[in-house]
Amino acid sequence: MNFATGTLRIGARAADLKTIAYRLAAALAICVVLTAASDVFLTTNNLLNVLRQASLLFLLASGLTLVILTAGLDLSVGANIGMSACIAASVIKLTGSAVLGAMTGVGIGLTIGLANGVLVALMRMPPFIATYGMLWVVHGVTYWFMAGTTIYGFPPGFRALGSGHFLGVPIPVYLMFVFLALGTFFAQRTTYGQEIYAIGANREAARLSGVPIAKRLILVYAVSGAMAGLASLVFLARMNSAEGDIGEAFTLPAIAAALIGGTSLFGGVGTVSGTLVGALILTLVLNGMNLLTIDASWQPLVTGVIVLLAVFFDTLTRKGEA
Amino acid sequence: MKTRFLAATVTIVLLSPLAHADGEKIAVFTKNLTNPLFAEIRAGADNAAKQMNATTQHYVPTKPDSIPEQMSAIEDVVVKRPDAIVFIPVDSKAMVAGVNKINAAGIPVVNINDRAAGGKFVSFVGVNDYDLGLETARFLLKSLGGKGNVVIIEGVKGASTNQDRIRGFKKALEENPNVKLLASQTGNYQRNQALSVMENLMQSFPQIDGVLAANDAMATGVIEALAAANRKALVIGVNGTGVAEIAAGKLLATGDYKGFQQGCLGTMAAIRHLRKLPVPAEILFPPVLITKANVAAYQVPKDKMVCPKWEDVVKN
Amino acid sequence: MSDTIIAIRPSAFGAGLRRVPGVAWILGLLVVVFALASRDFLSAPNLLNIGLQSVILLMLALPMTLIIMTEGVDISMGAVLTLASVVLAWVLAHEYSLMFALAASLVTGLVFGIVNGMLVALLKMPPFVVTLGTMGIAQGLALLATDGQSIVVSNSTLEAVYAGSWAGIPQTLLIGAAAYAVTHWLLYQTRFGTYVFALGGNPDALKLAGIRANFYLIAVYAFGGLMAGLAALILTSRMSSGHPTAAIGMEFDAIAAVVVGGTSFEHGNGWLFGTLLGVLAVGALRNGLNLLTIPSSVQVSCIGLLVIVALLIDGFKGKR
Repeated sequence: MNFATGTLRIGARAADLKTIAYRLAAALAICVVLTAASDVFLTTNNLLNVLRQASLLFLLASGLTLVILTAGLDLSVGANIGMSACIAASVIKLTGSAVLGAMTGVGIGLTIGLANGVLVALMRMPPFIATYGMLWVVHGVTYWFMAGTTIYGFPPGFRALGSGHFLGVPIPVYLMFVFLALGTFFAQRTTYGQEIYAIGANREAARLSGVPIAKRLILVYAVSGAMAGLASLVFLARMNSAEGDIGEAFTLPAIAAALIGGTSLFGGVGTVSGTLVGALILTLVLNGMNLLTIDASWQPLVTGVIVLLAVFFDTLTRKGEA
Repeated sequence: MKTRFLAATVTIVLLSPLAHADGEKIAVFTKNLTNPLFAEIRAGADNAAKQMNATTQHYVPTKPDSIPEQMSAIEDVVVKRPDAIVFIPVDSKAMVAGVNKINAAGIPVVNINDRAAGGKFVSFVGVNDYDLGLETARFLLKSLGGKGNVVIIEGVKGASTNQDRIRGFKKALEENPNVKLLASQTGNYQRNQALSVMENLMQSFPQIDGVLAANDAMATGVIEALAAANRKALVIGVNGTGVAEIAAGKLLATGDYKGFQQGCLGTMAAIRHLRKLPVPAEILFPPVLITKANVAAYQVPKDKMVCPKWEDVVKN
Repeated sequence: MSDTIIAIRPSAFGAGLRRVPGVAWILGLLVVVFALASRDFLSAPNLLNIGLQSVILLMLALPMTLIIMTEGVDISMGAVLTLASVVLAWVLAHEYSLMFALAASLVTGLVFGIVNGMLVALLKMPPFVVTLGTMGIAQGLALLATDGQSIVVSNSTLEAVYAGSWAGIPQTLLIGAAAYAVTHWLLYQTRFGTYVFALGGNPDALKLAGIRANFYLIAVYAFGGLMAGLAALILTSRMSSGHPTAAIGMEFDAIAAVVVGGTSFEHGNGWLFGTLLGVLAVGALRNGLNLLTIPSSVQVSCIGLLVIVALLIDGFKGKR
């Protein structure tokens, strides 16, 4: 390929491995504390439970990770989940076909992502603002479409996507590992992935070395949108119902998962596997608070402290390397 | 159908001593666009206004339950001057300042659903959340035979509906000393949060016989969590939005919050006040449970619902 | 070297002439359309409403303009404003004076601002992440302090802040105008402002010139916290109470207002008057849609469209 991207990737990989190792150590430390504090934490059921809860967050955050790698941001993912889920739900209800509904859900997600990509890449809008505007537009359409109703009850075949098991392990957990593998392969082993890192590390250099910036940017926002669409299906299948506001609570945790996982908002640094660990850390904390029956009011505060600690730690280690 | 409405309107107009020119504009304030309860309330308000030949205008915060937005909407409405206002405060205490603004502008206002902590109202229309919580919880504990392990899933802390419902739940638990309360955790009135909370509680407690959820959205989240874990427990909710789940035998009971009727009666009270007809200071619906026994009567689509007659609800 | 820095700073007027942001056209269009559609829109009480309703957002957007000019962002501002409001209400509810309560609120904002600034400036942590963390902390503290409840204050001095007027002008508007004037003065008339322009445009030049860039960067965030603390006075007075989620998420509206007003995330390009236009456009849009009783779901989309269309106009102008 080219000199700039080549050197960048070799440098980043060693650092990435180290970052993930630190993250895993932190996650293990939380596990040790929880094992000591609660005798039900270290049971197969509870651990599968944590994995299943983390899987939804990860599906959403993995697509978002690619966006953040280009020094972008997608604030519309939560709204995207809401709209994809609601329209997919009504398609399933109307046609009785889960496949058609699933295609609609991913399709809607992809469309919103493409629209974001066009605004950011072709219209040169700041991602933060373009996707914030998109959030409002999508919310409005969803609220209008749903008119305050709930769509309830889906066929068991579709439900399996969210609440089914295979060999005792929840289906969403398989999805999580499939997309971890796909995401890692895409980011680390394909030219597309390399170019995405290059755009985030130094857009001007990437442009000069022939990376089609606009196309790649549209690609990452489209992927992020499609992943939100997919996450919406898993969510729908698990909840067995759709309401206009179901995605609301996911945007900031998904961003936090990527950031805790070591992805830098300045772009060019981060991995999909780091995001998985980030999602696990966030989920472990919530699980622990529930097991120890700690008041949920502590949740935002604890999450805030963890975000700060994770990035603080990164900053220190990166300084050491430089 | 239509002629009956017309006839009803004509009689009301003829009967009213001052025969107020109809077509009153009623501004209706609800909390958000997403909760089915408020959709029912808005539908009830629209239906009542149509019956009485008045019109409604809806004001809903674009961000769910936003205090500053509802405050701004009040200021905007005071400029626009509707004939009367039907009002649900997004926060019972923080919106008192807003009610004072309406009072200062001299626009009559009826409080429905969530009782404001202050301000002057023509009337309050609603359900006593404490009684409703108490009755629903009693039904669950009776179905459990007065013994077993239960958990409570609370709504948004600080919401007065939640505090009253939880107080009702706990009162019923006091009456049944053989029932053990294992834990009380919040699901913030959200389905998905309740689902996660229940999943985690099931890890801590191998035997849960009953779940008291402070609203139906959370109750359905709990039901999904139980089904996924292949565990069984009796679940109750409050609000009366979980009718489909009751019919399917998944939800034991829900406290009927009478959202549609609240919208109806609130709007009727406002219009009656404008037409100088008597309106009581308070219209409280008695606590009613929706169970498998009476669920059929509730399976009416929202657009087919019709407001009850004023005289059938308000008896002197 | 310092001459270079001075040259970076455009005059307020010059910057204004060079780019009339898309949002100015939109604001003009909104005023015309709403005025034609509703005879209440241009009435004095309604214009006053738009002004009053915009003040809190303006007080977040003003320092946000400066923060964005340093290529930073502060997403903790809504949560800090909320926490400061809870603190103010709590102190007042415990029978202390309004001055003391205001001081407590300002200190709350200032502490968060300084912590944000120090983490960004000294530890070089990304502003979004830092303030995402402190947002959680402020929100959590507000929830824990109140147990999710409103803290009701019955204090006539407090109520008079929002409702009262001075020489016929509502005090809230005066506070908003003062906040604008002070920010304008800081940005365009002082050394501090010069460095704010330089921090985003060319921070290395600052360092070469021997200027304590970090000190000024911390000061920018501290100013944001202080303004959030002051805005808490108006918020609390408006509700006669403190509520733990009252202004959560308001920072995103502020950021949107700043950016549609022509301030860019890159290279220290900022225009304070544009921010005012952005805030007023949002205020006028919400007010006008309410007057026309447009359904709320349409209102939600309209706000997003305002942001996107404003930037589209800017984009097309940029291409020409």
